Amino acid sequence: MNPISTLRDLKQINIDYYTSAHSARQNGKFIAYVNAFTPVELLYAMDFIPIYPENHAVILGARRLSEEVAPAAEKLGYSMDLCSYARCDLGSILTGKSPTFGLPKPDLLLVSNSQCGTLTKWFEVLSRMYGAPMVLIDVPHSGNGEKDPQAEAYVKGQLEELQGVLEGITGCRLEKERLRESIQLSREASELWTRILLLGSQRPSPITVFDQFIAMAPIVAQRGTKVAVEFYKRLLDELEDRVAKGVGALSHERFRLFWDNLPIWPELRRLSEFLDAKGAALVTSLYTWAWATLWVGQEDPFQDWAEQYLYTANLHLRRRIETYVEYARQYQLDGFLYHSNRSCKMVSQDIPELRREVARRTGIPGVILEADHNDPRLYSIESIESQILSFLEILQSRTGRTS
Amino acid sequence: MGAHPWSPFQEVMADPLQWARSWKESTGGKVIGHLLPDVPEEIIHAAGALPLALEGAGIAISQAQAALPGYTCSHAMGLLEMGLKGELDFLDGLIIPYVCDTTRNLYHTWSHRFPDRAHEFLRLPKRLDHPGARDYLRAEFERLCSSLGLMTGHMPTPEDLRLSLQLYEQSRAQLKRAYRLHRERPSIWSAERLWLLTSSAMRAPRQEHLCWMQALPWDIEPAAKPNGRVPIYVRGKVWDPPGILEMLDRLGLLIAGDEMVSGFRSIAGELEAPKEPLEALVSRHVSLPLYPGYHKEPARVVQDFLARVKVSSARGVLFLNPKFCEAAGFDLPDLQKALENNGIPSLVLETSARGVSLAQIQVRLEAFREMMTQELF
Repeated sequence: MNPISTLRDLKQINIDYYTSAHSARQNGKFIAYVNAFTPVELLYAMDFIPIYPENHAVILGARRLSEEVAPAAEKLGYSMDLCSYARCDLGSILTGKSPTFGLPKPDLLLVSNSQCGTLTKWFEVLSRMYGAPMVLIDVPHSGNGEKDPQAEAYVKGQLEELQGVLEGITGCRLEKERLRESIQLSREASELWTRILLLGSQRPSPITVFDQFIAMAPIVAQRGTKVAVEFYKRLLDELEDRVAKGVGALSHERFRLFWDNLPIWPELRRLSEFLDAKGAALVTSLYTWAWATLWVGQEDPFQDWAEQYLYTANLHLRRRIETYVEYARQYQLDGFLYHSNRSCKMVSQDIPELRREVARRTGIPGVILEADHNDPRLYSIESIESQILSFLEILQSRTGRTS
Repeated sequence: MGAHPWSPFQEVMADPLQWARSWKESTGGKVIGHLLPDVPEEIIHAAGALPLALEGAGIAISQAQAALPGYTCSHAMGLLEMGLKGELDFLDGLIIPYVCDTTRNLYHTWSHRFPDRAHEFLRLPKRLDHPGARDYLRAEFERLCSSLGLMTGHMPTPEDLRLSLQLYEQSRAQLKRAYRLHRERPSIWSAERLWLLTSSAMRAPRQEHLCWMQALPWDIEPAAKPNGRVPIYVRGKVWDPPGILEMLDRLGLLIAGDEMVSGFRSIAGELEAPKEPLEALVSRHVSLPLYPGYHKEPARVVQDFLARVKVSSARGVLFLNPKFCEAAGFDLPDLQKALENNGIPSLVLETSARGVSLAQIQVRLEAFREMMTQELF
């Protein structure tokens, strides 16, 4: 394994981010809890720091604290069948255990349901807990991605109304120039992130999906800021240098695989080392690509956000199949690893159909791994490794490559 | 009609799919299936078809397990199972409503598996207290009219819609009367019979169903007073597991109120008569007790629920929470806490869990009844 040195910068970036969030009020800033597919550029332009309870849960999971905090939420009646991000975050609030010293209390909860309906319900709980106002950007789903002009008007109307809500909380009007700047920075970060993800198509790939999972924090939480742009410039430079020198993320890349769905955060390091030892490089994924396309234009950003949430972020099976078929070609894939994630029904329930159809159209096999993105009590890592091993043996017999 | 006034309802519910298939063969009519909840039956009726409510709970699953992960609720799993087994082949169309992530993904899978069968995804907005949601819902109902016109060959006219709304309003008024009688004369108007009436209303031709209902013994004196029965309020999706209502009757529990989509929620709300038909349907939809998949101001959701429970005079609340239903699961702790703060006991039964037996449920319900009546102390 060849570690990427720029990723070390993330520790300080994350410390600065959570420190600024905790000191928001002293600095005249406001806190908005958000999820993916919310207009963070607008928030940054209006002195809100967007905070992702999901990211907080990821930190808990990656530090293997899930089993210490989630039971506190379960004790209150939140079933183990519910999203483990939510259970970990709520459990952390209840127990006070958190590597980030918790999250500052929100002035607003902002959620878009084009990501999933679970976030809406989780944020409803937080809204009642903190007595904080909540805004749902309700994004209808057209089934198979059909254009829906009525929905565009509905979503755009909610986004325009959001501006008024933010102005009401801050007592300040939106400054168009600040929004323009934030949108510009967001676009730069998204373009850099896109170029980084495309480098996975190089052989050998200079970056794995595990690295991408770690590197994605700024594009999620800080797009619209200079921090994200500067970080991704440095990362891209290092990766392009690797490509020029023929250096891969793995010492010996034998198999090129796709990772579907969210990571299994508590096992990130273990799975990374396991696959590295087998010469299996995860070269691209659905999850990390989600943040490559979240930029908007300057002319009518509200319309762009509406269309983006309706047509780009709004996952549906047909486009997913088309995308995976295209990835198979573009990234010269040998196989697909589908994470059937108990905690993310939204992304997981289509997987059996998806796997079948992608295999039929590409001739490339895929294996479904039953796990959970944050709760180790809901899967067996040994059994997952065993499944992957058997899958790699199949790939080996197909490709003739030795491991 | 059968010899006994309750027979026609029993005949429908003995095997609803077979009954609808026979109806189609004998009348040559069209049948449009709709997964519960919230597809407006009136629009299907106005398009000249029989609306057939579909629920997946209680269906034995085999083939669907290869198409959906095991952590999918039985409501979605059951519908797909029926489809894969060919039990829904006779339908002229199927409508799946967007009420949660699972119905959204179910639609994807259905659409991919059965591309040649007429189907529609009803894009229900979630933010029900936003004015834009009303406009969007109205547009969706118009789109549904067009889609049904293609499925049935009859585009519903405003007059068709007006007549359908009128018929359904009459039917619902009669069903509400049955609910009132259940509270007064539960020995005759038992919970199980309430289920029989409301469930068959969503599966039989509504006009005929109304005639059948008119023949029921509305004015018979009660054989026994409701004394001793313990009024409860029930929240959940569909009456599941099968047999639960008969058990509630047997254990002396009275349904003082419920918001089940196959129960009172299917007849709740009233149409505002002077309104244009689709506008009236929109008003009714947004006034229904909030299904967990929708969103309103979070604190109000709890307050409104508590108010409904208090108005019903129930002594306890029974939650029939479908396993793997995230929307219901997230609401539960705050609703229970609000009840507890008001001295109202509650019991949660996780329904549709594979391996749960009726005997286990009965023991828990008996204990719940004892707790409400303090027979233990």
